[in-house]
Amino acid sequence: MAAPVLVLEQVVKQYPGLRALDGVSLAIAPGEIFALLGPNGAGKTTLIGAACGLVRKTSGRVSVLGVDLDVDPVRPRYDVGLVPQEINFDPFFTARETLEIQLGYFGRSKDAARVDELLAALSLSAKADVPTRALSGGMKRRLLIAKALVHRPRLVFLDEPTAGVDVELRRDLWGYVRRLRAQGTTVVLTTHYLEEAEELADRVGIIDHGRLLVVEEKGALMQRLGERHLEVKFREPVAALPAGPATAGTLSADGRGFSFHERRGTAQAAEVLAGLFAAGLPVGDVTMAPASLEDVLLRVLASEREAQAAGGAR
Amino acid sequence: MNVVGVRTLFRKEIRRFFRVPGQTILQPLVTTTLYFVVFGYTLGGRQAEVDGVPYLQFIVPGLVFLGLANNAFLNSSSSLFIMKIQGTMVDLLVAPMGPLELLLGFTAGAMARGILVGLLTWAVALAFTGLHAVDVARTVLFLMLSSYVFSVLGLLAGLWAEKFEQVNVFPTFLMLPLTFLGGVFYSVASLPEPLRTVSLFNPIVHMVDGLRGGMLDRPAGSPTGLVLLLALAAGSTAWAWRLLKVGYKLKS
Repeated sequence: MAAPVLVLEQVVKQYPGLRALDGVSLAIAPGEIFALLGPNGAGKTTLIGAACGLVRKTSGRVSVLGVDLDVDPVRPRYDVGLVPQEINFDPFFTARETLEIQLGYFGRSKDAARVDELLAALSLSAKADVPTRALSGGMKRRLLIAKALVHRPRLVFLDEPTAGVDVELRRDLWGYVRRLRAQGTTVVLTTHYLEEAEELADRVGIIDHGRLLVVEEKGALMQRLGERHLEVKFREPVAALPAGPATAGTLSADGRGFSFHERRGTAQAAEVLAGLFAAGLPVGDVTMAPASLEDVLLRVLASEREAQAAGGAR
Repeated sequence: MNVVGVRTLFRKEIRRFFRVPGQTILQPLVTTTLYFVVFGYTLGGRQAEVDGVPYLQFIVPGLVFLGLANNAFLNSSSSLFIMKIQGTMVDLLVAPMGPLELLLGFTAGAMARGILVGLLTWAVALAFTGLHAVDVARTVLFLMLSSYVFSVLGLLAGLWAEKFEQVNVFPTFLMLPLTFLGGVFYSVASLPEPLRTVSLFNPIVHMVDGLRGGMLDRPAGSPTGLVLLLALAAGSTAWAWRLLKVGYKLKS
């Protein structure tokens, strides 16, 4: 495996009365899209801040592109981009000027072609020469993304990049992120749109109370913790479920509905459904909801809180 | 050293104050011109002489200093503070700009505004006083050093301030009184004791005196002004560099 582009080792960030990061260790491989998920205040933005130099860690080690930030905090930044969570803009300048300035901050000389390319990719060409204060919220968000990418970073942090961006444009942005990965860019993403993480991520990390609870390849995680939901409606009330796999499901009190959660170690939904048909039950309608990352996230967080409560009870 | 980054920040700072010239250049120019007219021209200053110099000429260096110091200070303090409030400071913090690059970029931009306002004030004053001899080297030295020191002090204020009100604490409660009591409009030598001795503890007295020596081509007197400026330059630079390095009130 190629050397990781980002390594965190036992990183702690202690604020007065709050441990925002509690011994986080993580390695991000080159070219992957890593989604960091967790509730508000879990430590996602602090973790990104520690990697970008916006947060002064209390202890631990952070290494970016092979350089320990304690040894040289500046050099790796030439190849890192950040889309911050909070929208920011300088009302004195236009979108084009903003990108030209950002390019300069990263030590790059003027590159009109690159600026035009990004403005076009993020649907900002028509507003390129308008002061940034006149841009809509979604446009300002897209300008943030352009700023983070203008110097062609090898590692990009996207902290809630599509908050407030409409659905169509969000999908365009997803396409752009995939293109970035195809070009070898590594992406670390936090998002509240779990669909976004499902669409884009190769690996997923779940963080809560500053502790990284799970880091796993997305497909494997979904298989391990994901649940598919089978819902069946009967044309007329059913008195009891037939013996066999269907007993793993639940019959509603009025006998008109049946639900089954397929997860690792349980019967397959197809077997359960076959059992219902084989017993001659009056199946009227069947719906199947696929496993979602949202369910996985909620399950991990719930089990963590249960464990904490149990620990506290002891 | 990220030379392109420093140049970009410097140019951005200049473009920023040129986008609002009424506020950043014309307003201070009008203010200092009014001082000149009121104190030097209408209050009978035309007839008077101070330390052997016509009063109108005497007050010019002080007014140039006032415009230069205030504007250098305000440029770096307000620019940095506004970037903190807008959140655009993040753009600089994630960029490969170390403390030295940030210090150079911000102070160079602020010096440009301070010197521009100072020179424009001088140009306006020359219309009243007429041309006279100038010790160019000494004048340039004091203009550069004074603007540098107040740019760095402005940077420190911008780092420290968390509210708009705090940005104005130094200019209003420290710089303005020290400047007015700093021999801009009168000669400290003419003050009675103990005011005269007390005034010598005001560093601005020596800075104005030094600049006056250059601009009016008077024999070089005490080197206190130059020594003070050099000491302030060194001390404030070291302090600002340290605060930028640790990310004081910039990083959490």
